Amino acid sequence: MGFLAPWFLAGAAAMGLPLYLHLLRRHTTTPRSFSSLMFFERRTQSSVRHRRLRYLLLLSLRLALLALLALSFANPYVKRTVANASGDKLLFLVIDNSFSMRAGSRLADAKREAISVLNSRAPSDRAQIAALGSQVHVLTQPIQDPSALRTTVESIHPGDSLGSFGELARAIRSMRENTRVPIELHLFSDMQKSNMPAGFSEMALPPGVTLVLHPVAKAAQPNWAVESVNAPSQVWDPQKARVDAVIAGYETPAATRTVSLVVNGKTIDSRKVEVPADGRASVEFQSLNVPYGFSRCEVRIDSADSLPADDSYLFAVERSDPQHVLFVHESSDSHSPLFFGAALASAAEASFTLDPVTVERLLGIDYSKYAFVVLSDVISLPAQSENDLLRYVRGGGSILIAVGTSAARRAHVPVFGESILAAHDYARDGEHFLTVGEADSSHPSLQSSESWAGVKFYYAVSVDPANSRVIAKLTDQTPLLLDKSIGEGHALLLASGLDNLTNDLPIQPVFVPFVKQTARYLSGTEDRTGFRLVDSFLELRTTKEQAVSVEVIDPAGHRPLSLQEATSAQSYQLTSAGFYEVRLANGREELVGVNADRRESDLALIDDDVLALWRGKTGTDSQQSSVAGQSREPAKPYGLWWYAMLLVLVAALGESFLAARYLTPRTEEP
Amino acid sequence: MQRFLDPSVLAEISSLDLIAKTVVDGFVAGLHRSPDFGFSQEFAEYRAYSPGDDLRHVDWNVFARTERAYLKRYRGETNSLLTVLLDASNSMNFTSHKITKMDYARYAAASLFYLAIHNQRDAAGLIVFDDEVRNYIRPSTRQGQINRLLHGLELAEPRARTDFAKPLQHFQEFLRRRGVVLIISDFYEAPERIIRTIEPLRFHGNEIVLFHVLDPQEIRPDLGEPAVFVDLETREEMEITPEYVRNDYRQKIQQHIATLRDLARGAGMDYFLLATDQPLDGALREYLSIRQGRN
Repeated sequence: MGFLAPWFLAGAAAMGLPLYLHLLRRHTTTPRSFSSLMFFERRTQSSVRHRRLRYLLLLSLRLALLALLALSFANPYVKRTVANASGDKLLFLVIDNSFSMRAGSRLADAKREAISVLNSRAPSDRAQIAALGSQVHVLTQPIQDPSALRTTVESIHPGDSLGSFGELARAIRSMRENTRVPIELHLFSDMQKSNMPAGFSEMALPPGVTLVLHPVAKAAQPNWAVESVNAPSQVWDPQKARVDAVIAGYETPAATRTVSLVVNGKTIDSRKVEVPADGRASVEFQSLNVPYGFSRCEVRIDSADSLPADDSYLFAVERSDPQHVLFVHESSDSHSPLFFGAALASAAEASFTLDPVTVERLLGIDYSKYAFVVLSDVISLPAQSENDLLRYVRGGGSILIAVGTSAARRAHVPVFGESILAAHDYARDGEHFLTVGEADSSHPSLQSSESWAGVKFYYAVSVDPANSRVIAKLTDQTPLLLDKSIGEGHALLLASGLDNLTNDLPIQPVFVPFVKQTARYLSGTEDRTGFRLVDSFLELRTTKEQAVSVEVIDPAGHRPLSLQEATSAQSYQLTSAGFYEVRLANGREELVGVNADRRESDLALIDDDVLALWRGKTGTDSQQSSVAGQSREPAKPYGLWWYAMLLVLVAALGESFLAARYLTPRTEEP
Repeated sequence: MQRFLDPSVLAEISSLDLIAKTVVDGFVAGLHRSPDFGFSQEFAEYRAYSPGDDLRHVDWNVFARTERAYLKRYRGETNSLLTVLLDASNSMNFTSHKITKMDYARYAAASLFYLAIHNQRDAAGLIVFDDEVRNYIRPSTRQGQINRLLHGLELAEPRARTDFAKPLQHFQEFLRRRGVVLIISDFYEAPERIIRTIEPLRFHGNEIVLFHVLDPQEIRPDLGEPAVFVDLETREEMEITPEYVRNDYRQKIQQHIATLRDLARGAGMDYFLLATDQPLDGALREYLSIRQGRN
């Protein structure tokens, strides 16, 4: 026992006050004169003694009142383990329903084991059921009803998530903070190694939790799986589209597996592949002959293990015609369309077709049919055309503007609107060239680009970056690449040319990915992928697309979003494997193939010594070790001040009662 | 005028004769009767003059006819001898308000003297005693008797303790003539002993009245908390509880009063309880009724 504020005990000195009142003042009482004592008797002495005794009771109550008051302010505490605070315990039954539990009869074994634990528990013990995937889903409150608990266990279905013991430990730690009752954690799992977090410390359970493990898999089982697929989400030319797949074997012998490419349920290609023992093999399909529109595709291997769910990998492909890009250049400039067109054509999937046009032939063009527009060092742009381009951008279109040597004859950048501050001819200045000093790799145009460090810039203009996002700067801090939102669209400004005169960018390796990423960014197709992992989030709308209804249809054909969620949800978590049909807030429709995380395909088990270490951190699953675990728990200070305050209240009430009884002058009866 | 009989009002008056005059005049006025009440105008007898008699009462018509001096006596003037025995023990000094028992006894005695001498033409005397006789003023109707009596009362300061037995023989020596004997005391003595001591006075034909003077707190004490009481006469200390005072003491004092009253009446005496917070007319009325009865 100790005190958190022991200096308040000095207040106990106030106990001298009632001592003075009761003892010292009693002796200074002035005797009262009376005519004669002939009618008083000596036996009254005994009643005086009796009165003294009762006054001592009052005195003791007053002393206790002051002592307890000082004690409560001193905030006493005792140290005791949490487990001793209460006699009962909570059985927390966690059943792993991650993707790997689909192997064989693991989930059924786990549920059977859980029910047997429920049947053998003491009737007074409360139990709580939860399912473990990537998160802990608590399915019941702590209850004693055996039938409700059993029904809950039986209702657990296999999931597609990646199990996480780290998430389980975090949930237990959170739960432990809110309850004083000791928790007996029963984990029914295949104890898959891939479910362990990166750091073992993340699995540490708090004091007061006894971990009891119920492994339902005795040994690792061989398993083949389609580990990954690389396929385009959009196809314009089926003959140019390629599909790469990786077939992995876990704890498997060397074997020949048949890999099939299935489109809309129809096998269109099939290959034999030699998968080495416990290794990987790649398969490439040279074409992806899909019809126009969305197609449900999968790469499938023949099933030969206990986990058939990972023998196929789903992806969606949309076939459409290539998008056109309008490239506006001066008639004297023949280099820039050549370089840009070559880069665009060499980019993967060749999804864009470049339409070069000179400034003179610009009038009358309908910009809306182009995915984006490129203005390459245009000296003079007709006002009509500039207005049309500005209207096009404001309406949601995008434009890439390259400013070359023509900028010397202009005061501001067309469409972009910002003024040109200066033109730097580094070749003449004696510096010969400048390189990129800073680059914002978070911008989609530079996201997958390699380093721009080797690119030489001989000429660049300085543009006022007032309302623009500067993506890249030269070493003299001249903004090189700027992004500006104009209305609903974007304008990307390159402060140099697209030819190889003002810089050597077109002949550098970084040019192709830059053009590819920029084209995807400006055309709005940069974030489209045909497949995702379970538990990933799908963005349904941007911040500007509020109060617009979206629609999600899950693999089972249900619409999981309510009406309110359909108009307000920013994203949606893909919780199960299969194809999701999505209509986004911008009106675009998508088909997404969702696959389980292939880390679940590795059925290797956690080593026994690691499991023993995990149990050891929280005690053991045996009764003996549980007791030992409790004794090792750090003692927590348990405050007693409110008990003291309760006694103060009782003492105050008793004092008031006795004082009223003894000390109040009596009313004379008539 | 009734308020002038209130002891607390009389306490504001310093002069004892003025107190007596105020009381008696107020008492008489309150009767709505003649101021000569009790003073008989009816002729009773002639008595031969003897030296010392007041010459004002000589019937000069009879002297002219017979040349013998006779005093004209009226009914009501017979046995007109008042003697007050005043207890001046320490216990008479007790009070719970403005008036001590001794003061109250003084006022009562002074008023009786005034009534007797001025209104009834009676001879009045005083004996002050505690455990012995401390002062004696012989009954007389002479000029200035009232002043002597009042002076004797003023000198009677409480001291010592009450003892009826010791001064008893002195009483008998002093009270050889028949008359009215008023004993004013708080009678803190066993009733049997009191009556046994006083009873011999009755044998001389005296009318004896016991004026029992008690403070209200002695009759009905109110004690809120335990206290130490000190006996005024013996200086003995005793711790007293409210419970005892509330129950046993009251029973005992009431029994003491009742026993004393019964024994006194059984012995042919009158008993009258005077509480010091009550007006003084009770004592005067008692005296007049006794005197009337003697006529």
